[in-house]
Amino acid sequence: MTSPSATAPDTHPLGSAAAATPSGTRRGTEFEGTVTVLARQAVGDDVVALKLVASSGEPLPVWQPGAHIDVVLPTGATRQYSLCGPVGDTAHWQVAVLREPDGRGGSQWIHDHVEEGGELRVRGPRNNFPLRPAARYLFVGGGIGITPLLPMIAEADAAMAEWSLLYGGRTRSSMAFLAELESHGERVAVRPQDKHGLLDLAGFLGDPDPSTLVYCCGPAGLIDAVEAHCADWPAGAVNVERFAAAAVRQPADDAAEQPIEVELRASGTTVTVPPGLSVLKAVEQAGVPVLSSCEEGICGSCETSVLEGEVDHRDSLLTEDERAANDTMLICVSRARGGRLVLDL
Amino acid sequence: MTLTQHVRNGWYLGAWSDDVGRTLTQRWITDVPVCFYRLPDQTVTAVEDRCPHRKYPLSLGHLDDEGTLQCDYHGYRFDGRGVCVGVAEQADRPKAALRRFPLVEREGAIWIWPGDPELADESLLPDTSWLTDPSWTHVHGVVPLKARHMLLLENLLDLTHETFLHPTSIGNAAVAATPIDVTVDGDRVGFSRRMIGIEAPPFYEKSCGLTSPVDRWQDGDFYPPGIFVLNIRVAATGTEEPDGFHMKVLYGMTPGRGNETHDFYALGRDYLIDDQELTRFQHEQQLAVMQEDVDALEAQEIMYATDPGGTAESSIRSDLAALRGRRAVAKMLAREQRAQQDARTPHSRPSV
Ligand code: FES
Ligand code: FES
Ligand SMILES: [Fe+2]
Repeated sequence: MTSPSATAPDTHPLGSAAAATPSGTRRGTEFEGTVTVLARQAVGDDVVALKLVASSGEPLPVWQPGAHIDVVLPTGATRQYSLCGPVGDTAHWQVAVLREPDGRGGSQWIHDHVEEGGELRVRGPRNNFPLRPAARYLFVGGGIGITPLLPMIAEADAAMAEWSLLYGGRTRSSMAFLAELESHGERVAVRPQDKHGLLDLAGFLGDPDPSTLVYCCGPAGLIDAVEAHCADWPAGAVNVERFAAAAVRQPADDAAEQPIEVELRASGTTVTVPPGLSVLKAVEQAGVPVLSSCEEGICGSCETSVLEGEVDHRDSLLTEDERAANDTMLICVSRARGGRLVLDL
Repeated sequence: MTLTQHVRNGWYLGAWSDDVGRTLTQRWITDVPVCFYRLPDQTVTAVEDRCPHRKYPLSLGHLDDEGTLQCDYHGYRFDGRGVCVGVAEQADRPKAALRRFPLVEREGAIWIWPGDPELADESLLPDTSWLTDPSWTHVHGVVPLKARHMLLLENLLDLTHETFLHPTSIGNAAVAATPIDVTVDGDRVGFSRRMIGIEAPPFYEKSCGLTSPVDRWQDGDFYPPGIFVLNIRVAATGTEEPDGFHMKVLYGMTPGRGNETHDFYALGRDYLIDDQELTRFQHEQQLAVMQEDVDALEAQEIMYATDPGGTAESSIRSDLAALRGRRAVAKMLAREQRAQQDARTPHSRPSV
């Protein structure tokens, strides 16, 4: 699975209480290098699990439930996948990849080209979806969105917290990790849509309870529904990680992961935007006021005129024509191709 | 959202054909007062409802059997082309003519173009042939709405609200839980949502005799600035078209005066078309659902109107079609304002 917030670590998904890991603690604990695929295993229709070891043989950094790694494809594109093996295992990492025929080709490439013994470039781990302590957890997973929940469940179980999981998917055979989940018995409700229809969120989530945290990952519709159901729950009770629209927000090429220079012509200043920071944040840090709201490339409030430079659009709002015109961009998520932009700010 | 000005270069549903006859009907459209009436040859006419003399509403005047319209304040009289043909007081006729609006009357609907008549292009109208197609039947009407056009537009482009606002009729959890695909074609914005194997909402259970699970499709098309067409298909799950039940809803979202909107609707279906009981039931339901929307939009209007500084809105992925709709309208408005600006700026003359 991919995590949209990973490319913009300073923002977190709208309506989500998941706090981004403070950027300072990230440095030094991150791995960047080559891993070898120790095992490749089909774990559901169109889902493969990959077991990875550092090619150098070194131990891998420790990580916490909810963390993901970036896989840097030979095409230069980066995809995020949640770690889903045992948390304490520093010899191996495990990710599960769903083939997404409608995606931008990253998952297809992994399915078609990654063999046992092959190598991959990875980076991470990072965590935008941390598990906070609670007496009781309700986990809702949709499809491949189950992956970040697996280590969370293991941790909740080890901490003797009360927990239950509602797991949906298209069909039973499309749903990964069923055997290990079902070993938990009653706590796990597996509800493939072809048999059960839509998930009974109301029945599962019930009424707000201050001791309960909800963690949900899956398609946008599912997350929207969970958030809608929990609209009047206490702030922070619902934690989600979105991935459905992530494809749009991936860097288009390697250059996009470079720092960019942004000249703010009206203010007569230039800022450097490092890869992990959004143009919006960099502009704000330079003391130039800009409107923003969703910080996800949805609402359009941060729309800014582009005077020079080529935009790498990563929003969800602009139409193809608007993108092609290259005269406007949503600076909360979009970046530059070619390292430089001039904005009318 | 601050857009309260109205696009005028576009088609709006001005009236249903059966609303307009040999009497004078006033309706404000995009802040312009319009007087609709029919001439003796049955052609429909729409003129600005302000007498060129002292602006008295012509709709308070009289139409005679020859199609001459008389202002009932000081007696100006206008022929079928809106040209002043005389006034009671004096023998020579005052130089005056009424502004007439481009109209298209087809399939029982009267479309009006309140802006520049030169730009009125019939091909921009959607296909509404189902309104008179003998294999379809429909009901129609208009509901008054005290909320700005944009709120209605967003209401229709984001049917996720059905889950919450219409839970006893057309909405259930499946609507909000199913993401939409959004398409943009020039100014047009479309969305589609395919709900497969869902529980049948009560309205569809009753109007199609279906039991759960069903497949339900919603395909909405927004023809900016003011027309929305929703194609609905419902079928027992697994059966594909053409086995499903088809319905279409046409909405004419016509800005009225200030932040008021005329909410025109037509609800059609292509099955059991002779079943009057079903027609009655569907019409009742349609009006009940629209009332839920009207109540919500009017409550929302107050909140927008009293928050002119505009506290930031939060948006989510299911707003995408509505946000694109907003942009489409904003762009049309900007285009229109630019054109007006250009027309006002005197062309530079070569200096001699
Ligand atoms: S802040 Fe919403 S699109 Fe940028
Ligand atoms: S206002 Fe119409 S005739 Fe005077
Ligand atoms: Fe509605």
